[in-house]
Amino acid sequence: MRIPCPHCGERDVSEFRYGGDATKQRPRHGEGDLKAWHDYYFLFDNPKGPHTEYWQHVLGCRHWFKLTRNTATNEIGEAS
Amino acid sequence: MLDRRSALSLAKSYASPVLQIGEARGFSLLQAAGPAKAISPITGKLPAKVGTASQTDGRTLMRTGENQFWIIGPENDAIAKKLEGVAILTPLSHSRTRIFIEGAPARDVLSKGVPLDFHPTVFKPGMFAMTGIHHTPVLVHCTSQTRFEIYALRTFALSVHDWLTDAALEFVE
Amino acid sequence: MTAFRRLEKGGRIDRSKPVSFTYDGKPLSGFAGDTLASALLANGKTLTSRSFKYHRPRGIVSAGVEEPNGLFTIGRNEPNIPATTIDLTDGLVAHSQNAWPSPDFDVMAVNSLLSPLFQSGFYYKTFMGPFKKSWMFYEPFIRRAAGLGKGSYEKDSDRYDTAHEFCDVLVVGSGPAGLAAALTAGRSGARVVLVEQDAEFGGQLLSERTADFETWRKAQLAELSSLSNVKIRARTTAQGLYDDNFIVLLQRHEESDAAKGKPRQTLISLRAKSIIFATGALERPLVFSNNDRPGVMLASAVRTYLNRFAVAPLKRVCMVTNNDTAYLTAFDLAEAGIAVTMADHRKVIPSDLLSRAAMLGMAMFPGTGVADVEGAKQVSRVQLAGSHSASIECDVLAMSGGWSPAVHLTSHGGIKPAYDEKIAAFVPGGFAATHFGAGAVMGRFGTQAAIKDGNEMGAKAVADFGKTVKPVAPPEGKDRAYHILPVWLPAVAGKGKAFVDVQSDVTVKDIKSAHQEGYVSVEHLKRYTTLGMGTDQGKTSNINAIAIMAGLREVPIMQAGTTTFRPPYTGLAVGAIAGRTIGHHFRPYRLSPLHDANKASGATFIEAGLWMRAWYYAWAGNSPETAYIREMELVRKGVGLADVSTLGKIDVQGPDAAEFLNRVYVNGFAKLPVGKARYGVMLNDDGVVLDDGTTTRISDTQFYLTTTTAQAGEVMSWLEYLLQVHWTDLEVHVTSLTDEWAGMAVSGPKSREALQLAFPDADVSTENLPYMGCLEVHLDDVPIRLLRLSFSGELAYEVHCPADYAHALWEHFLKMAAPLGIKPYGLEALASLRIEKGHVAGLELDHRNTLDDLGLGKMAGKEKAYIGRELRMREALQAPERWSLVGIELMEADKKLRGGSILFSAGDEIKGHGRGYITSVTWSTELNKFIALGLYQGGLKHEGEDIICAFPLKNEQVKARIVSPHFIDREGARLNA
Repeated sequence: MRIPCPHCGERDVSEFRYGGDATKQRPRHGEGDLKAWHDYYFLFDNPKGPHTEYWQHVLGCRHWFKLTRNTATNEIGEAS
Repeated sequence: MLDRRSALSLAKSYASPVLQIGEARGFSLLQAAGPAKAISPITGKLPAKVGTASQTDGRTLMRTGENQFWIIGPENDAIAKKLEGVAILTPLSHSRTRIFIEGAPARDVLSKGVPLDFHPTVFKPGMFAMTGIHHTPVLVHCTSQTRFEIYALRTFALSVHDWLTDAALEFVE
Repeated sequence: MTAFRRLEKGGRIDRSKPVSFTYDGKPLSGFAGDTLASALLANGKTLTSRSFKYHRPRGIVSAGVEEPNGLFTIGRNEPNIPATTIDLTDGLVAHSQNAWPSPDFDVMAVNSLLSPLFQSGFYYKTFMGPFKKSWMFYEPFIRRAAGLGKGSYEKDSDRYDTAHEFCDVLVVGSGPAGLAAALTAGRSGARVVLVEQDAEFGGQLLSERTADFETWRKAQLAELSSLSNVKIRARTTAQGLYDDNFIVLLQRHEESDAAKGKPRQTLISLRAKSIIFATGALERPLVFSNNDRPGVMLASAVRTYLNRFAVAPLKRVCMVTNNDTAYLTAFDLAEAGIAVTMADHRKVIPSDLLSRAAMLGMAMFPGTGVADVEGAKQVSRVQLAGSHSASIECDVLAMSGGWSPAVHLTSHGGIKPAYDEKIAAFVPGGFAATHFGAGAVMGRFGTQAAIKDGNEMGAKAVADFGKTVKPVAPPEGKDRAYHILPVWLPAVAGKGKAFVDVQSDVTVKDIKSAHQEGYVSVEHLKRYTTLGMGTDQGKTSNINAIAIMAGLREVPIMQAGTTTFRPPYTGLAVGAIAGRTIGHHFRPYRLSPLHDANKASGATFIEAGLWMRAWYYAWAGNSPETAYIREMELVRKGVGLADVSTLGKIDVQGPDAAEFLNRVYVNGFAKLPVGKARYGVMLNDDGVVLDDGTTTRISDTQFYLTTTTAQAGEVMSWLEYLLQVHWTDLEVHVTSLTDEWAGMAVSGPKSREALQLAFPDADVSTENLPYMGCLEVHLDDVPIRLLRLSFSGELAYEVHCPADYAHALWEHFLKMAAPLGIKPYGLEALASLRIEKGHVAGLELDHRNTLDDLGLGKMAGKEKAYIGRELRMREALQAPERWSLVGIELMEADKKLRGGSILFSAGDEIKGHGRGYITSVTWSTELNKFIALGLYQGGLKHEGEDIICAFPLKNEQVKARIVSPHFIDREGARLNA
């Protein structure tokens, strides 16, 4: 798999770390009750198809970004 | 008198008729985080793109992020003083060990471990890449068609040096 | 007994370069350009192995990677290598396999007589009962009898390497289609890589006799070689295709290169923008009684041996076919003066073939197939039946069951092949946008068609780059149309076994029995019979098996389906996958800036994660069990020096740095004064402890944060995540300083004196440098940070300096504080001192424990928000009976506490998971007994109670007591001294 780092351009997946689902809205710091944090932290969809995820270019520029990846085909879409 | 010791003082030397690998000592590395337009009046023109380096006033200026630069100068560079208050400064001179690899097969040796396109028309002098060698983060700077300078983390430097010289074993006579 | 001979002239071998090799210890010779297979045949070695299950005599079947029988162990204990893929080189050592003492006389051949017992499913049905462990008992014996080559326990003495490559167009295969495709694409200026698994480029062209073809081949190669944008690689197999056009190539270097210390093989990870599959087609055998006898070969292979290697059948060849291509072999043989008998399943044979056959004096039997083959160790006679019956004496039986496109690589991406009735074979079932197929792999057989295809696909592959192309001109000639009469089962049932998969010894009867038992899907058929599961992965057998099963089920072949083609295409040495990632280079290693200093100070090192850490020092003894005790005493009574450079260190800077840390840590950092340090704990979002460490405020806007050694990377990434993803409004910059700064701990009641000796100009009094204070000093202009922190519980300091100076500063300390008896202490003592003090570390911070579990609940800010605040309040995390931190004292002298012991209350039955476990254990020099930290159900509510520490691995149970985890100096008098 090749991943387009918004800073460094297309790189091998081995340079990145996966950072989880990027579609969830994190409660604002100090806000949100136990349920809000529970839902944010523990409840995820597991879609087959395009999915927006966080990735970090951890061996490279260390930039965190959002990436669309098809979970069925590993086809890579937009990175931002 | 406290003296500086290299991370590679115990490294085995490498000798080949076509390839040189060794440490390029004697530099300072300052990371400056801040907008280019605030920093460039002091450093000189900064590279526009992440992954490119420029040479100004005896320094190499690398753009390592949208608003982050590496300023590589002589060992006792005084530029940090001038940049105080202009950017967030982090001295990193001791954190990186600079290993050079020079010679016709240099690109092939790097290709053994780095998943980057090292073709001479793609990775050209003046470009650098933040990537990994043997699972450790490195910055590989192409300084000429046949010379590369690798900024390895100091604590991994001997491991990276070992890995490179092993990768280049076939060029030893 | 022999079936083949070397011709005086002809072939592509270099007769000026004789090559010596040994086969089962006997010296033999061949020529440069030979494969081991051609050399063995030329030397009269027709019987080369015994079969997997029945130990039947077997010989070489093919001339390529599809070879099912001719597997050898070569030189360096590398088993199961097809002789057809081994370049003959001087000094090659080849051993036959699965035969003892030799293929000619094999003791296990008795299996053949017992064969009714050895049908599919026999082993499992018979040896699975009568008692539960039967299979486990019998298995080693069965495996010894039925096996391929043996692996070796010896270290592989060869070097293997890896490489990354990139290109615009990858062309797989260098037959006429591949050559044309590569050249067309190459002429456009695109970066092209052409790979060929053979030692020579040309594919099928290498087996042809037409001079025009050879001229054409050479011309294309010459032009390809002249293009700097084209790389051509022989001996290179495309083994697998993965996401994003990532292809794994295995390059086998010439043996002469390997001898020079170069790698023997290189595993290349290639990323191509587009791929042209020109992988050709494989001829398949026909299924008939005793079709496995040595000398029964693929017709195209007989032609290759004749034309490429100048190895011809002795005198007489019998042939059987269902298509036209076998006639190419027949005519070449007849022209070479060999008597050819041709049985053709088809009743009607094209007239031009018949007239040519008549002209060459061939005996023709239309509408006829093979009923049986005779010859104990080599074919001697073939019984033909059908429209004609005949008994033909011969040296070799050459067969052609038609051609199967080599679709393997094209379907690695998940696209299943499709059945094409016209050619009775599977073709690629479709392509991704950047994939193209050319030539025989598409079922378009013939040289002209291949070149036309190659031209077209070469142009398409570079079209996206806006390149212009010039097609390749083909040689003179015209393709014959391909006609085939599908034949899957023996035309006449013979008396012997009719093999479908010769490598796995699977017969028609086995497939019938699978069908009877209900294993009708091809995936089940494969697993039930082991068909296609050998080293050849069924390259010659799969389609026959699928067709036979389709016949039994009375469904079309497409409906019977195919098995999944998986990488690698051919056998791959484990060494090639490992590359240089072995031994010393198995993983990277990490050295403290004080590594050389530690070494000079007599340290023994221990791996801790990737770090090599100083474990203990020679001055204290030469075993870790005793040395750390002396080192502990040094710290408790005098002063010791330890390397703590492995701690994670992070520069946190910016106007919002204090706010940022105040959010990340459970305790407050907003009001930490400049020049002061504070111990902090951070949680994950889920309320579980992530890490702890000491963070110092350098200025209003700058902090020096430390993490544990183990979590340094994790914490760094977490802080970056928060700042870059969620808290983009905070103006804070974080940078790892782990490599920039070295650290050493100066610990013990005499540490202040030591510090004063080392820095005579600094005021290190407790007023100027109180507990949790920070002082910046300079020594020879080197900036040094003195932090008054203690991990051991003693009066202690951490001294941090830029990494390159650490070695000199270490020496400086040892020299200046020598009058105080300062000595280094290592990781074992560091860890033991903190247990006595009751500090938690990595073993307790195991990503499962909460603040309360670790007795740190009071640290959490009541008013302020911090990460993990909400989820740490989950009911289960607040349960009173959670396992939480306790101290443990051993109550039995002369016994030991052991890490990992399971804890029980004194009255419990010693069974199951108990009420907790020991995390860290040490000998306490202060208390003169073993002590430990552990997690115990209900924690310190049970202080003073007796427990049992069970260590089932050694069958030990010892009595102990729950105590406070703070074993020494609870009031902190030493710390604050």
